[in-house]
This record gives sequence, C-alpha cells and structure tokens, in this order.
Amino acid sequence: MRHAHHTHGVRSIDHLAYTSGMGGWNPAFKTALALGTLVICLAADRPAVSAAVILALAALQKAKGGLALHDYLGLLRVPLAFLLLGGLAVACDLSRVPAGDWSLSLHWFYVCAGADSVRFAAALVLKSLGAVSALYLLALTTTACEFVGVLRRLHLPGLLTELMYLIYRFVFVLLDTHGRMREAAGARLGWRDFRTSCRSFGGTAAGLLLVALRKSRAYYDAMAARGYDGGLAFLEEDKPLHAPQLVWMAAFWAALILLRILTA
Amino acid sequence: MEQPVLQAKDLYFSYDGKVNALDGVSLDIHAGERIAVLGPNGAGKSTFFLCLNGVLTPARGEIVLDGRPVDKKGRKRLCERAGIVFQNADDQIIASTVAAEVSFGPMNLRLPKDEVARRVDHALDYMDLQAFRARPPHELSGGEKKRVTIADILAMESEVILFDEPAASLDPAGEERLEGVLGRLSAGGRTLVISTHDMDFAFRWATRAVVFAGGKIIADGAPETVFRDAETLRRAHLKPPMLLGVFELLRARGLAPADAACPASVEGLAALLDGAEPPACGR
Repeated sequence: MRHAHHTHGVRSIDHLAYTSGMGGWNPAFKTALALGTLVICLAADRPAVSAAVILALAALQKAKGGLALHDYLGLLRVPLAFLLLGGLAVACDLSRVPAGDWSLSLHWFYVCAGADSVRFAAALVLKSLGAVSALYLLALTTTACEFVGVLRRLHLPGLLTELMYLIYRFVFVLLDTHGRMREAAGARLGWRDFRTSCRSFGGTAAGLLLVALRKSRAYYDAMAARGYDGGLAFLEEDKPLHAPQLVWMAAFWAALILLRILTA
Repeated sequence: MEQPVLQAKDLYFSYDGKVNALDGVSLDIHAGERIAVLGPNGAGKSTFFLCLNGVLTPARGEIVLDGRPVDKKGRKRLCERAGIVFQNADDQIIASTVAAEVSFGPMNLRLPKDEVARRVDHALDYMDLQAFRARPPHELSGGEKKRVTIADILAMESEVILFDEPAASLDPAGEERLEGVLGRLSAGGRTLVISTHDMDFAFRWATRAVVFAGGKIIADGAPETVFRDAETLRRAHLKPPMLLGVFELLRARGLAPADAACPASVEGLAALLDGAEPPACGR
C-alpha cells in the first residue's frame, strides 16, 4: 500500500488534503474563506494585514488542519523562493553611478537600493505570501473532487467539471504507469547517460500516449457497463455548515478590515 | 425447466470486421448457478461478458433477459441486472473517493439520493471498506481496489455478476478473501459467472464449467465431466486440476473407491479416504 508521501509535490498536497483535520468542513465554506481572505489581503495592501493573514492561516492549518508546521513551511518554501527572488528584483536597481541609500559596486556597474524601494518590495512579498497562504488553505484542506463539486454548484458547465474529474483520476493512473515504465527503463540501464536518457524519455512518453489511448477505451467500457449515459454523477457526502464557523469567518474578516483602517 | 435469467443466443461479434471474437456463442444462465468460464487469452471470454452486460452490441444474435429479448431501450436494465467486475481495477475505478466510486452505478440508475446512500453503505459494509470510504483510490493496494470494484457492482444490486479474471493480480490472502466473498454472494442467491485461468479454483468452486476457444463454446457441463474430456483440454490448452489427477492416481492404486466421483476439495478427498460422507461444502 502506498502511504504518506514525504516528498513535496502533487501527491503530497493531494494526500494532505485527504487527511486534513478540516476535511469534514463544508467545501463551499472553505472556498469562500480562502477566496474572501485572498481578496481582503490584496485589496488592503498593508504589510500588517498581510502578516496577520499569513500568521492566522498558518495557525489555522496547524490547529484545525492538524498539519505539522514543518510540513507547512516545507510546502511554502518553493513559492517563497520565487517571491524573494522577485522581491529582490523589485527592490534593486542597476546604475552606472552610485544611487539610492545603498549601492554595491560590481566594477562595471552598481546595484543600488533605496529605503523606499526595499520597503515596497517587502510589502509586495508579504502581500503575495498572504495570497499564497489563502490558496494553500484551500489546496491543503479540500480534495480536488470536492472543489470540482463546488464549481459545479456554481454552475460551471458540466463538460468542464466532468473533464476535471476524469483528468484528476487519470493523472494518478498515468503517474503510476509512468513510474513503472521509468523503473523498467532503469532496469535496462535506460538512464545511464544523457543520450540514452533522451531516448528512454522519448520511449516512455510515446508509450504513455498508447497506454492513455488504450485506457480511455477500457474506461469507457467500464463506465458503460455501469449504466453511464453521458452524465457523470456521484453521491456527495453532506458536509453541513456550522454557524460558529460563519461567525469566526466574519470576525476574522472584520479584524483584518479594522487592522487596515488602523494602519491607514 | 425454469426460465433462465440470462440467455445469449447465437452471438457474433467482431472488433475489426475480419476475425470473429465471438463466433456463434449460445449460453443459458440459470439463477443461482456458479459458472466458471475457461479458455486461453483471446478466446472471447471478455468480449462475451461485455455483450452479456450490453456494453457491446453483437453483430448478430441476441441477449434474452427473463425470456424477453433485450433491445436498445432495455440496455439500461441489462446493465442493472448483470454487472461486470473488470479484470483491471484501475480501468474500472473513475471517482476520487471510494464512496463516490461505489455510488456511480446507483446514481446512473437514477435512484433517489437516500437509496443511493443506503446502497453505498451496504456495499461498503459487505466488502469491509467503511474505513476507506473517504480515501482516494490511488492510495489503495491492489486487493483493496479489487474489493472496491466488487462493491461497485454490489451497490447496483445486480442478480448476475460477471467477474473477469478476478484473481489476477491478487496475492494468496487476497484470493482467499475473494473466495470467501464469492461464497457469501452465492449463498445469498446471486448468480456468478467467473472467467479464470485457475483450474483448481474452477474445479472446487463451480457448479458448471464453460470452455471457450476461438470465439466458440467448445464444452459446457459439470466441471468433472469437462475436465475429464482430454480433447476439450487439448483444444483450449487447459490443464486438468491437480485434485483430479491425484484422485485418478489414488483410484488407479486402489486407494480410493473405484465408483466414487472426484471430490471438489481436499477436505472432501480426506473424508472420502476416511470412508466418511464428504462435507457439504463446495459441490
């Protein structure tokens, strides 16, 4: 049996969503909470509000989601690296002569930064990180199929939601198949050097296409055998909305807006 | 003779228009039978199952359900009455949680939501899968996935269940568990049709053996009769079950009564050798 994947990636996010302590919460509520917080964080445009969002959502993931802080930070690492690099580019300027409050001489030119631009970049990074935290709240607590269910209730066309549903399932089937093909290629020294690796990669990719074609037929037969006639329907578990959750959400948003007014 | 539940009458089917995957197949399936479908790969067993359930429409011949030929409109009813458990569980599982997966069939039957929920619960209980209900299928083991695919069909409450090589990819513990489930289903009155390459299993479990070769049924009868027919075994590349060989040997050496039929199980053989009545299990 394939258990917890400690590598970071699609599988680990997926696994965390299935095992999250907030899994029993109403998915529409979680979507509203995440998107509302995202909007407030972006619209407020204050470092204090961004920081409050980051800390509050981290605390929520830890306390209610049961997510280890170490895992949460690990997942934040990749977006954080991008944000810091982007922030650096925003904060610094290149110039032939020293300018701004700090300049670093690199012989031909200077890397300069002003206090204002650094402050601006820091605020931008915080705001982006707040937005990422809000989306992680959704990604780490709501399974893909539940989210598709929310989209369906928002009247997204059935064709799109059904495609999402099937693609989601297919991704894992093909990942498994591809993993086995990789191992099989490796067992015949398929990855011994660059040239061979290129050939092996081409081979596995072509093989994957054939497998996908064959499987699509098998899937269709299996669906037809259970009476499929053009509409994918599954029983969704009822996850009731609790009034206290709504109150907490309103209080959280009110606090953020208050913080925005106080820091005006 | 009572009305068969499901009949195939002179079915012809071809995938490419040249070779007949089914070449005039007729079979009557009676309620409560345990039928083992034997034959080499490519003999038409899976194609036959897909026709019996209505996924494939035969080029000629018809499927008869409760004495009435099935037309295009009756296809849905056929799906409901005769379910297939596919060989490869990953080809059958489409939903992202076990409970949603099991609900797919009943939802397609357009049952009310309460009824779907009841059937899903019952099927999960039956297959001992309640602990997995909110889990995604890609986190399950092969044996667990197989149980999910059986629960899929149980939730449709099909009277006839067609199993396409259910033991392929199961470990011995999984096989034993499967046989337990098959026993319970049969005791509960379901009609089971199982294609298999496991001759020992077919011999001890089935009440009837049907042998496919080259798209035709070349033998149909009591397992012992079929397995004693050397010509059938040769044409379908089958090996006789080990128990039958052992029994023949014992009889040739005068260790087993000359007039007794071959028992279906090792326990039955032990009872026979002890001179006791064979136990009621199996056939």
